[in-house]
Amino acid sequence: MRRLWIGGLLIAVLAWLVWMWAGQRGKAREEPIAADSLTVGVRAVRLYFGAASGDSLVSEPRELVEVSGLHERVAALVGELDRGPRGRGVALLPAGTSVLHVYLDDRGLMTLDLSGAFRQGFRGGSTGEAWALASLARTLGANLPEVKRLQIVCAGRPIASLGGHLPLDQPLDVSDWP
Amino acid sequence: MRDRLARRRSRWWILALVAWAAWGADWRTPPPGEGPEAVPVRRLDGAPYVGVNDLARLLDATKFWRADVRKLVLRSGPHSIVLTADNPFAIVDNTTIWLGAPVRSLGGELQVPAALVDTLPADSTLARLIFDPRGDRVLVLPASGGVGSPRLTVAAQVTRLTFPADHPEAAVVAARARAHFRVRMGGLFLGVLPESLPSGSLLRSIRTIPAAGGSAFECAIDPAAVGYRMTQDPASRRVTLEWSRAEGDLDEFAPEGPAGARPMRVIVLDPGHGGADLGVTAGRAVEKKLALSLALLLRPELERRLHARVVLTRADDRTVSADARAEVANRSRADLVLSLHFDGYVDARARGATALCPPATLGAEQAGARNHGRFAADDAGPGRVAMLRWRDVAFRHAVESRALAEAVLSTIELKGQGPTRLRERLPYGLLGVNAPGILLECATLTAPSDRERVLQEEGLRQLAVSIAEGVAAYRRNE
Repeated sequence: MRRLWIGGLLIAVLAWLVWMWAGQRGKAREEPIAADSLTVGVRAVRLYFGAASGDSLVSEPRELVEVSGLHERVAALVGELDRGPRGRGVALLPAGTSVLHVYLDDRGLMTLDLSGAFRQGFRGGSTGEAWALASLARTLGANLPEVKRLQIVCAGRPIASLGGHLPLDQPLDVSDWP
Repeated sequence: MRDRLARRRSRWWILALVAWAAWGADWRTPPPGEGPEAVPVRRLDGAPYVGVNDLARLLDATKFWRADVRKLVLRSGPHSIVLTADNPFAIVDNTTIWLGAPVRSLGGELQVPAALVDTLPADSTLARLIFDPRGDRVLVLPASGGVGSPRLTVAAQVTRLTFPADHPEAAVVAARARAHFRVRMGGLFLGVLPESLPSGSLLRSIRTIPAAGGSAFECAIDPAAVGYRMTQDPASRRVTLEWSRAEGDLDEFAPEGPAGARPMRVIVLDPGHGGADLGVTAGRAVEKKLALSLALLLRPELERRLHARVVLTRADDRTVSADARAEVANRSRADLVLSLHFDGYVDARARGATALCPPATLGAEQAGARNHGRFAADDAGPGRVAMLRWRDVAFRHAVESRALAEAVLSTIELKGQGPTRLRERLPYGLLGVNAPGILLECATLTAPSDRERVLQEEGLRQLAVSIAEGVAAYRRNE
């Protein structure tokens, strides 16, 4: 009987401590963040990498430092794709791929000028090629809703194809890439 | 203490034997194109018997004959089977089994009632034997297991066919055409197919067809079916095929063109890459060389089977532009274009063959193309003329191209050269090509197993045979 009382008392004390701790956390959350012009904003983005089987893309959430310009935002996204996944996916872009220029027209057509490494470093077949393009299209489409179509050029020049399997002479429809 | 040590030792032995059996399982698996190992059964007074020498060979057992008591002991791993001449009992691992008929001595060899095989222990240290009464044979069940008799259920909207299978996850739909709906299973088919099908069934007929390393079935599906679904349930070891009259979350059948054999006078083979463009390189494998070698092996196969003229876009190692390849196809008035490639991917686990063909959903493609300004006309609706750019002329043959892809991938899958994938996306090699065609990634060079297979001449030749058979099936309009 005595043990029961002691056990009950211990549970009550533990419950009270948890309740107090939760209350303190809630208060801390409610406190307004002090205005600070040096604070760096963080933006959650979704990146698409390849599945190991080559059958699909796998998405990965990541937090990036908030930047204002379109070029910087696209460069940051492509930079993260180039850096590779932290989870179970595989990197699809040829190593060293970076953004040279970005232009977005009022009809949602983005012209994306990628560095020469994008084409020169590609060594895959149609599966690697399809998923590399899908990775770019899906990542840009998911994080920049204003982008509807994507025209990829390389080192300032149009390219007919990345690896000789899929045409790049026309824009890719962002919604067309599963 | 000694007992415990002995038990531990025996456990280690069992583990070692399991590992040995798993390692050895590969060479019990029949090679592609061959059936499982089997021995004939003879009838003595109407009862099925198997010769003990055959039985020992199937079980990989050693025989010990004791002439004084006319006993034969078969030992295989930890197991033993004791047979006595003229005795209807056998001792299997210290358990006495009644065989229903006596063991008989005939021509200096013991004949054992086939009922014995059903009583043998079912563990990984002993080959699993099956008595097949229809074929009058005893056979070794492959490591991929077995597939049992299917059960057919017919409801108002849905027809279901459920197969018991040891490895349901290995099931794959190899061809999706209603007339030739093919399913490949991972195990050996040990059951019986229904002889008659009830009225109202969306399944019109079913038969077994040859498949490498497993079993395959070809079904004819009623045109009223709008889609199908395959469910693999490893927990209950079942594969369920479902065909439905009602729309829902279903997979689509392959698009169907006009019935009857297709004309096939000129076939263009387009070995991918060439010259400075090596394509995929992995180990000793170079895509441009393999694509050319395959084309040179495929040409006589197609000429022999189809009596067609086969034209190559390149017969040596040189650079050919996409425009030049299209020009060869169009000038020769090709009935079919096969762009031959080998795949590569950043991860070595990706393997198998992939076909790319123009999207068969031409309506949707046209709608998309209109938005992109590909059409001169603003609207391609009824009464309007829509102009397709010459670049996209392959879209005209999208349905036929898809049928070609289905036929070729089906034979590749059934011959164990898969897994296969179909992507409806206009390939670069078919820009400006006015004929049905596909870009075929015949194997994945970055996958070690695929690479080793196609680097051997026999492997490449088998691939050429599979592709030729697929093209022949396409011509027959299967």
